Amino acid sequence: MRAVWAIAANTFREAVRDRILYLFIGFAVVMVVSSKLFGMLTVGDETKIIKDIGLAAMQFFSMLIAVMMSMILISREVDSRTVFNILAKPVRRWQFILGKYLGLVSIVAANLVLTTVVLMLTVRVVAGEVDLMLLFAAAMTMLEMLVLAAFATLFAVLTRPILGSLMTLAVFVVGHMSADLWLLTRQLPGALTRAVIAVVYYLLPNLERFNFRTEVVHHLPISGAAVGWAVLYAVAFVVVILSLANLRFRGKDLK
Amino acid sequence: MKRTLGSLAVIAILLGTIVLAEVQLGKITREDPLGHELLYLPSPEMLKMISLGNPGLVADVLYLWSIQYYSYYRPHERFLYLETVYNLITDLDPLYVDAYRIGALIMQIQTGGDQEELEGAVRRLFDKGLRNLPNDWQLAEAAAWDFFIRFKDRETAIHYAAIAAQRPGAPPRIKRMVGVWRDKENAWTLDDSVEYWRRALEDAENEWDHVLCMNQFYDAVTARDRKTLAPLLEAFSTRYGVCPESWEDLIRVGALRQVPTDAFGDPYGIGLEDCGLVAYKKFKNQ
Repeated sequence: MRAVWAIAANTFREAVRDRILYLFIGFAVVMVVSSKLFGMLTVGDETKIIKDIGLAAMQFFSMLIAVMMSMILISREVDSRTVFNILAKPVRRWQFILGKYLGLVSIVAANLVLTTVVLMLTVRVVAGEVDLMLLFAAAMTMLEMLVLAAFATLFAVLTRPILGSLMTLAVFVVGHMSADLWLLTRQLPGALTRAVIAVVYYLLPNLERFNFRTEVVHHLPISGAAVGWAVLYAVAFVVVILSLANLRFRGKDLK
Repeated sequence: MKRTLGSLAVIAILLGTIVLAEVQLGKITREDPLGHELLYLPSPEMLKMISLGNPGLVADVLYLWSIQYYSYYRPHERFLYLETVYNLITDLDPLYVDAYRIGALIMQIQTGGDQEELEGAVRRLFDKGLRNLPNDWQLAEAAAWDFFIRFKDRETAIHYAAIAAQRPGAPPRIKRMVGVWRDKENAWTLDDSVEYWRRALEDAENEWDHVLCMNQFYDAVTARDRKTLAPLLEAFSTRYGVCPESWEDLIRVGALRQVPTDAFGDPYGIGLEDCGLVAYKKFKNQ
């Protein structure tokens, strides 16, 4: 496991060196500007708007990291040939993939921690409340990002950098639309069509399962079962996707 | 150096042209689209899909836009599609209290057009809000006051106030407000009023509420007794040519069995000027 942690730490350091965390500054600016601006523009409760924007921006910037990192995650090691140095050591290919994945996840987590702190501070300053449920929303966004990062890792192994990023972005978009598409396809005639779509639906992640933002913003009760199943759903997806990435990487000719 | 200065001069001239063009374009009055741009608003289902899990944020953006759009004074045509816009916002975020409240408020500002239709639109928006927010008494109270003040529609106002009073956490003043408004209704009898205030008194949540309900209950009982005793006093005056000096006069002629008492058990008096019942409200918090 030491090898995995070493690769993860190195991936994290590289991302920091690439100024990935600068996205957090973008988030902070969005929060400060929006809290000032919407205070002037809105009538009523501006805290709701600040939370909506904060949670959406938190998700957006985390997704951006996953998409961007997908571009450099594996290809940089292959192009600079450093992958041979790593794999020449007693490091197995699955350890390399897992290390890369954990590195990506840790940079997303670091970004999420920082953005959550900024959001909570903004809400504290504007509304005078400390909303601990924002931590829960951030945790569920992290769960969503665990799945997305797994796909980013898979696509980094499967394809060229730009295409990998686009495919990660596509998974994010489709993942949020799949539930609606599923409902729309219920209108379609033909059992076969519906069966095919059902298979596609279950193969793709439904990222809305991790979306508890409305409940958090409106202080609604949250079902423990929904959270528990969402955790299981995410873990199962991550394991499956990383296994696929490992299978592909194991047989990949890196020359 | 010369070329650099020349380039900078060209850039400066072009920037000046941009500013000038923008100023001139701003001066040209264009045909008012009369809200036609609103025709192209997508459906809530479509907006939910493209919000990628953030329908609340899209609702916020639309809400902020609507406030800016409808705040700018224009003739009544500007208020076209108002109901559609606020339906869209509240479809995207059904728990958005401000959208119901402010949407209804903006609708009420509208002075032109069919006022009946307008009242219907306000009512539909409030009803939708009350369905989606079953524990929100503030919205129901706002609806009550809007119908009471803006539309002078006491019946609808009472309907919303009664909803507000039944909701959890509603302050006792709303229940009192319903009672006071109902007391002014023609269909509301004095017995209804006494019964309403008796129950309100039983349900009083604090001392202040108790005092106020007691006051209303006292007045309701007095009004009912005044109505009941008035024919007896009038009959006595007609028969004997004078108003009775005390209740004993009525007891003596068999019109009454005992001295009538108020809600606190204290005897009423008789006003000799108008020969009517006099209540001596010695206020007690009982």
